[in-house]
Amino acid sequence: MLMQLTLGGFAQGAIYALIALSLTVVYRSTTVVNFGHGDFVMAGAFLSYVLVVLAGIAFLPAAVLAMIAMFVLGVFFSKGLIRPIRGGPHIGLALMCISAGYILRGIARMVWGREVLPMPPVFDIEPIFLGNLVVTGDAVFIIGTVFVLLVVFFGLLGLTDLGKMVQAVYQSPRGARLIGLNVERFNDFSWGVGAALGALGGILVAPISLLHPDLGASFLIKGFAAMTLGGFGSLGGAVLGGILLGLAEQYAGAYIDSALIEITAYVFIVLVLFIRPHGLFGRKAVVKV
Amino acid sequence: MSTTMPTSRQRSLRTWAFWAVPVLLLLTPLATNAYTQFIVNGMLISILVTLGFTLVIGNLGQLAFANTAFFGIGAYASAILSAKLGLPWIMTIPLAGALGALGGFLASSAALRGIRSYYLAIITLAFGELMRWAYLHTKPLTGGTDGLPLPRETMFGISLSDDTLKFYIFLAVTAVLVKATLNLLRSRFGRAVMAVRENEVATASLAIPTARVILTTFIWSGFLVGCAGALFARHVGHVFPESFGMLHLIASFAMVLVGGLGSVLGAVLGAVVLTALPEYLRAFPGMEELFFGLIVAAVLVAMPMGLASLLRRLSPIFVERYYREES
Repeated sequence: MLMQLTLGGFAQGAIYALIALSLTVVYRSTTVVNFGHGDFVMAGAFLSYVLVVLAGIAFLPAAVLAMIAMFVLGVFFSKGLIRPIRGGPHIGLALMCISAGYILRGIARMVWGREVLPMPPVFDIEPIFLGNLVVTGDAVFIIGTVFVLLVVFFGLLGLTDLGKMVQAVYQSPRGARLIGLNVERFNDFSWGVGAALGALGGILVAPISLLHPDLGASFLIKGFAAMTLGGFGSLGGAVLGGILLGLAEQYAGAYIDSALIEITAYVFIVLVLFIRPHGLFGRKAVVKV
Repeated sequence: MSTTMPTSRQRSLRTWAFWAVPVLLLLTPLATNAYTQFIVNGMLISILVTLGFTLVIGNLGQLAFANTAFFGIGAYASAILSAKLGLPWIMTIPLAGALGALGGFLASSAALRGIRSYYLAIITLAFGELMRWAYLHTKPLTGGTDGLPLPRETMFGISLSDDTLKFYIFLAVTAVLVKATLNLLRSRFGRAVMAVRENEVATASLAIPTARVILTTFIWSGFLVGCAGALFARHVGHVFPESFGMLHLIASFAMVLVGGLGSVLGAVLGAVVLTALPEYLRAFPGMEELFFGLIVAAVLVAMPMGLASLLRRLSPIFVERYYREES
């Protein structure tokens, strides 16, 4: 029982980690928190549905295509809608993200109406039994994909010049500009990466859940909860926060009450912000006045 | 400040206008049919909702998402108090406002811990989602997905399902609360609110307790929107959880922005302009989200200070003293 829950928690947590990570990527380079990110996740899931079910493409190439499409969308969003208002108040930027999310959601609802769509199962392989533990293909696939992605991601950040650029822009956009980095273009790129990673989160949940245009909202909250727990701006913290949230949801749902699964994330947010506002690894968040 | 301020004559004219407008509006029911009267009543409610929202995001400068939650709290409070406890509806308006204010306190209490900006936004977002969860999971009280109908009731021998009677009540509540908010913003407290927006550290150095200012603004915002919720409950006669969902949130954002951030006049304009339009879009799924989303994006890029800024350019009479300089 405990092992089974832990496995399920890791699979869910891997997705939350991915979403929190994609939010953090954008936040670190642009200081914008994408309040429309849930709908980017939703858009990824819907794109993969379109490509698999309507266009008849196999799941893996469809997933790659959907991620590329979302990368392009993220770049265009940054160039077309974020850049013109960068100098304005921060609230404007947050509102722009929200409105972009609603536009995506509106488009999804226009096309699919109020239906709930099931994605055909992708990994319809026999589950593996290890003693009492049932390991499904989906769980293996989700955890495996996220793990590989994280290794590549943190490898790139830690070992290449790109990683140094990311750190430079995070520490001081102005300093980064002074040493000749094109911060504007870097920001567009970060928006693209954030959108593509968020979309991957949507693509991974698509086969194990029902698709509807509102599915983004709950993922946004989960992403925020993971980010808050890990500490805003901390990439490793986002991943760890996501996994812990996934595990906590499973345990709370099984041992206390299944209705708690939905609100674990809110409880996390409230508790963390009241007890330790900068989370596990974040910069200090509290204003002392 | 580059804009000319109104002269004293223009100011007294404005004071007159403030009372003349609602008095003239008393005649509206003569010009409307049942359907348009219903829409006009909806506008009055939207004015309060938008005003409460613009106080927090425009005047206080804090990003917050709890507005829809306050609205839902007010509506459910009104419905539960009149359906389960048998209170006359008119009595539930201040009580719904008080519960909305309590919601405002809860949603912003993290400010006492030094939580600001994105963190405060996230905690208010969580608060809003938690309330939605609560409407659905407290079935004995809220009726769950079936919602909660308001009992039939009469006032002065007229049924409270009559839109004309409702119009007069809504108009009175809205006019009083708008005036109260204007006065509040003109007070020492109101100036403190906008000082926090411009620079919280500098404000604190003037011995103004900024966390308390933030909390109080949220509480007043919650009160306004809670009262609006009570009006809404009677307006539609049946409270459903869907009315307080994500669609209401983007509609509120759009009203605030179209009217003009942090402007009372703007709140009124935005609410009036955007209440009627979506009625025609409702038949097409997804159109409302798309419409509000596009409007918010367009206003942010092209007219960041909304319709109120156009009026201000037209005549100094529209300049509000707590007006935000265009950046």
